[in-house]
Amino acid sequence: MLANNMLRNLSNSYERLGKYQEQLATGKKISRPSDDPVVAMKGIAYREDLARVKQYQRNIGEVHNWIDSADDALDKVGLALQRVQELVVQASTDTATPEDRKKIADEIDQIQKHIVDVANTKVGGKYIFNGADTKNPLFIGYPGETGFAVNGNQSDVEIEVFDGIKLDVNIDGKTLFTGIIGMLDNLKTVLDDPNSTGNTISSHLSQVEAQQDALLAARSELGAKQNRVEMMENRLSTQEVIATKLMSNNEDIEYEKTITDLITQESVHRAALSVGARIIQPTLVDFLR
Amino acid sequence: MLSTFHGLEVAKRGMFTQQSALYVTAHNIANANTPGYSRQRVNFVETEPFPPASMNRPQIPGQMGTGVEAGSIQRIRDSFLDYQYRNEASKLGYWSARSEAIAKMEDIMNEPSEFGLSKAMTQFWESLQDLSANPENEGARAVVRQRGIAVAESFNYLYTSLSQIRDDLGQEIKTGLLEVNSILKQISELNDQIKAVEPNGYLPNDLYDKRDALVDELSKYFQVKVETVPSGGNALDIAEGIYEISLVNQDGSTVKIVTKDGYSKLSVSPSISGDPTNPDGYISEIRIEDVLGNITTISYNKFDSLASGRIKSLIEAYGYGSDPDNVKGYYPDMLADLDKMAYSFATMFNAQHQKGFGLNDSTGGRDFFEMTLSGPPTEKGAAATIKVHKDIMDNLSNIAASSKSGESGNGNNALYLSMIKDVQITNGSATLPSGSGTTVSVPITGGTVQTFYQGLIGKIGVDGQQAERMKTNAETLATSVDNKRQSVSSVSLDEEMTNMIKFQHAYNAAARMITAIDEMLDKIINDMGIVGR
Repeated sequence: MLANNMLRNLSNSYERLGKYQEQLATGKKISRPSDDPVVAMKGIAYREDLARVKQYQRNIGEVHNWIDSADDALDKVGLALQRVQELVVQASTDTATPEDRKKIADEIDQIQKHIVDVANTKVGGKYIFNGADTKNPLFIGYPGETGFAVNGNQSDVEIEVFDGIKLDVNIDGKTLFTGIIGMLDNLKTVLDDPNSTGNTISSHLSQVEAQQDALLAARSELGAKQNRVEMMENRLSTQEVIATKLMSNNEDIEYEKTITDLITQESVHRAALSVGARIIQPTLVDFLR
Repeated sequence: MLSTFHGLEVAKRGMFTQQSALYVTAHNIANANTPGYSRQRVNFVETEPFPPASMNRPQIPGQMGTGVEAGSIQRIRDSFLDYQYRNEASKLGYWSARSEAIAKMEDIMNEPSEFGLSKAMTQFWESLQDLSANPENEGARAVVRQRGIAVAESFNYLYTSLSQIRDDLGQEIKTGLLEVNSILKQISELNDQIKAVEPNGYLPNDLYDKRDALVDELSKYFQVKVETVPSGGNALDIAEGIYEISLVNQDGSTVKIVTKDGYSKLSVSPSISGDPTNPDGYISEIRIEDVLGNITTISYNKFDSLASGRIKSLIEAYGYGSDPDNVKGYYPDMLADLDKMAYSFATMFNAQHQKGFGLNDSTGGRDFFEMTLSGPPTEKGAAATIKVHKDIMDNLSNIAASSKSGESGNGNNALYLSMIKDVQITNGSATLPSGSGTTVSVPITGGTVQTFYQGLIGKIGVDGQQAERMKTNAETLATSVDNKRQSVSSVSLDEEMTNMIKFQHAYNAAARMITAIDEMLDKIINDMGIVGR
């Protein structure tokens, strides 16, 4: 009976040692739900939360991609419009000959083509200014050519950046670019017209400015979105820290504690072994003559 | 008058009796490590004193003792401790089988981990989110398809693995009953041998030990009640008689499985096929066929009333009911829940998927998952057969990421699809996240698919913990009762040594007694009546 008890106690002791060993090897308090059902269930939920936050962070990367590309493209359009403004001022002097104006009109035509190219910017396989129809460019061909057409999808492209919070990442390319292209069309017509005077041309300056304003409005909208995204990004990184901490508190062991427990258990085990070895040895037989 | 040789006779009896006690001590020492052995003891009885009370008794003062004899050889055992031990053993059998069954389930579900169903679902969700951000990207679509396949395969894997374990449980019931039947047969045979020995006035101690060890073994499978019937003839009062064994129900009613006439054979109906492809195995009754061929049955709705034991626990895990469509039990319930979950998820997902449009797809209305159902209930077979629909396997463009036809950059439907696992279900009806108010009816009654799954894992955890705790309790109690029993019945070498010395000294003293009497007789025979010689 003594021997059986000793064996049982030793095997219990081994079991406890095994448990600590497993905890230290995995770094987790539990290895199966029945070890602690509450920790296990919470663990599933926390993992889910963390995965969510990480995914939203990835989505935000995508949002940055859209907004930065659009801003960059609009910056180029801004430079082009500035050049157009200079050209219009140049053309509006009455000293400019019709030939000079013709040259200016040619340059404006090139600028218009450049703007069409910018409007068809493709980032990562997507046309970013054609609404949600990202497989197709906003403009087909160049103005003045046969077959020129505007696709003009105006739907928002939305990306989820947090539970239920969606950002529309694109701007209304159709309104902006058809406005600019139309304005440039008008300019070209006026410049090509030999009867145009300096005054008629300079009256178009206000149209150029109006388009610059529209462009600025679009860029400031992008800027505002950028701010929103950055705010959301900050929130998400805080969330990530919190979710990781919650998960860790829930299921990770405290190494100091577990190692101390293991060492305590080890000395208990040694004591049990040494006591066991002593008590099972002697019987009365050893002392009978 | 006393006989001249009275003293010699008394001393001789003393020597013989002490000798037999020494032999019994030797038997005890030899069996010190035999499992199930109870130590034996010689019951010393004083022989009839002289003279006996009778008319023509000799007139001597007082009755003179005539020595000792070995009255009987008895084993030392406390039948109350046996009773306690068997109760605990059948509880231990019940809870350890349950704890094993649940532990296997936990191993297969493998939660929380990076490889379980919940991880597959999360990755699927991530891929849908990526798709919603890059709906025109073939790569994102390919990932969604692969993650979808991973979810479907996780369901398939869980279902098949759990079914296999369930099948193993069925086999265990089968072999368990074979074991029980063999034990019953052996007990009955021992009964017969005991019945032959006892009427001659002997105690078949070693047969008793064997029989008790068998009843201990039997009590792990079923809770049993043991009654004794005297075997008649010249049996001693301390003879234990024949065991009659009954199954005990919780209400205290019993079914005899071993009687003095023979033993019953236990089986289950319908018989367990052992065909792993048949997922619908169940047990509707336990059949007990007695020695005369009469059959008593315990039907499925009475299984609850079986008190405890391993077989009850195995049946509860394997599944029981009146017919294949009404099977309850730990594994069948889990399999049914997986079906519910797979069906609910796939149905809602398909409904939302149908509302969207693929790349270059103006019609929409395609399914993402397909299942081969074999109801009733409707969802039966969902978890086993769910897979990604052929349309999606054939062409990635058919994944309906867009909520509007022709908008390749529209990822709204992908976003709605990603929300499916968190759609709130109320009274078995779920409203699709696209906001058009379309409802889908599903077998899950409340919560979300995600929380339903968490609930399943939580339930396994709680049940497993309880089974483990009860097992430990029963183990502690059984060990403690067994220790008590050991302290009564097991051989202590120190005690045997002490006895050996005791009997040896008594033997020596009796021999010395003979020498003393010899000298007395020598005095009479050789030294008397020689006056003047």
